[in-house]
Amino acid sequence: MVVDDHPIWRDAVARDLAEEGFTVVATADGVGSAGRRAAVVTPDVVVMDMRLSDGSGAAATAEVLTVSPSSRVLVLSASDERDDVLEAVKAGATGYLVKSASKHELADAVRATGEGRAVFTPGLAGLVLGEYRRMARSPRGDDSTPSLTERETEILRHVAKGLTAKQIAERLSLSHRTVENHVQATFRKLQVANRVELARYAIEHGLDE
Amino acid sequence: MGSHAAGSDPATPLWRAAQVFRLLSCVYALGFQIAVNDDLERPAVGWALFAVLVSWSVACAAAYLHGYGRRMAWVGAEVVVVVGLMLSTEIVASDQWALDNQSWPTTLWATNATISAAILLGPVAGMAAGLLVTASNAVLKGYVSVDVGRNATVVIELAVGLAIGLAAQTARRAHAELQRAARLAATLEERERLSREVHDGAIQVLALVARRGREIGGPTTELAELAGEQERVLRRWVSSAGSPAPVGLSADLVTLLRRRAADRVSVSLPPEPVLLPAEVAREVDAAVANALDNVAAHAGADANAFILVEDLDDAVVVSIRDDGPGIEAGRLEEAVGEGRVGVSKSIVGRLNWLGGTARLTTGPEGGTEWELTIPRSR
Repeated sequence: MVVDDHPIWRDAVARDLAEEGFTVVATADGVGSAGRRAAVVTPDVVVMDMRLSDGSGAAATAEVLTVSPSSRVLVLSASDERDDVLEAVKAGATGYLVKSASKHELADAVRATGEGRAVFTPGLAGLVLGEYRRMARSPRGDDSTPSLTERETEILRHVAKGLTAKQIAERLSLSHRTVENHVQATFRKLQVANRVELARYAIEHGLDE
Repeated sequence: MGSHAAGSDPATPLWRAAQVFRLLSCVYALGFQIAVNDDLERPAVGWALFAVLVSWSVACAAAYLHGYGRRMAWVGAEVVVVVGLMLSTEIVASDQWALDNQSWPTTLWATNATISAAILLGPVAGMAAGLLVTASNAVLKGYVSVDVGRNATVVIELAVGLAIGLAAQTARRAHAELQRAARLAATLEERERLSREVHDGAIQVLALVARRGREIGGPTTELAELAGEQERVLRRWVSSAGSPAPVGLSADLVTLLRRRAADRVSVSLPPEPVLLPAEVAREVDAAVANALDNVAAHAGADANAFILVEDLDDAVVVSIRDDGPGIEAGRLEEAVGEGRVGVSKSIVGRLNWLGGTARLTTGPEGGTEWELTIPRSR
């Protein structure tokens, strides 16, 4: 399923994916339509743009994963929508690819996302690294604030500096898969923390009224 | 013209209130006139002048309410008429009467001139008009009353001029502030709208052209790179349109280094601004530019560069890595000869000046990496 509010892009991405042998089960241009269609077609992978007609890609990610929890979301976005990408990862997206990526890169990324692997870029690693440091600084920090292990920090830094998973694996004498798992773990902790934060917010702001 | 002045004049409510006061002062003047008429030397002239007072009051009220009277000439005329009517006490009443009573058309009514001057021109002019009214009173009586305990005219006139003048001034300033704020909001809104248009239109098409162009390859790659460059420029413009200008003397390293992104340069940044003193941020940016030049000159045409910015609270770390062939062990001397380290010296020099360090390493799988550490004093 392809979600993008710009018709030219939506069609181009859908066509590219079809040419690469994927079945595009639906397209949508906004948060509302993405949620409605995902509920019906339960797509394996959702390719998600960040700026939609009626809201953000992060909101659409949360919406899609609520109605279709088995779906996996790959963010396809421009590099300037950085904060939105971070929000999308917190909402449950497991992959991020920049729009300048080629057709083949896109196909590989969709395949990897479908297999449950994390797709990441140096830019996203920099954001995630910065987000963990921001949370560590925050005065609200307590035991539930997620933090990175030394290994995770090391791996994220390598990713952010443009090393591929394979290169990192060689450098740290790990398997390629272990490196990916570490990166995925850093995403997941952000998602969990986000859910905890949302719950806390709900309790503090009136669910107990 | 008149209605326009009334519509946009922030002092309009004051003008309206002043006309209510004017009406009351006329009623008071009428009562006074009836009460003292028998004591006057020339009652007929007194009534005639009273008719002048009423007509002038009506004319003034109309002029101020409609707005065409709200200018120097009209207010000046009002002051002249008021002073003239006060001085006419000489004609209608005896000197002794003038000495024993307030001036004939009543001090209360005379205050209208003070109020008009204060609303139009502010506290200073208001107080000046008040002094003029008081002075006419003094001329009539032939002496200046310094005993403000018994005769508070001067105090009241000054106070009225000051208070109403300040009120008018405040109203005008608040109005001007409000208009400036409204203009600013409109400008920002317009910018936002333009940003959205550009983002949804030109940027998307350029991005698609860049992507397709790269896929087709050959001479089209050049077109793709041009489109990509323009896309980045527009994106920067759009993302900076909404953000406020840098505050004071600090600069955001994130904003500065984001500009370094290009086809072969990836920039990884934290989600929040990294604030440094402006001149420090400039030096860091320049050092990064040196490092990127180095990559372009020595790492080969196919090399990619990766910039990573990390905010560690007590220090900011900027890494610049390339995936070129790197410097083989023992070839460092050669590298110096090639001038590769010449540029390096300027990077090290900049960082030393900032009290930081610059480290050059080369990895096992090739590539070189600069790590710039800038300490932060908090």
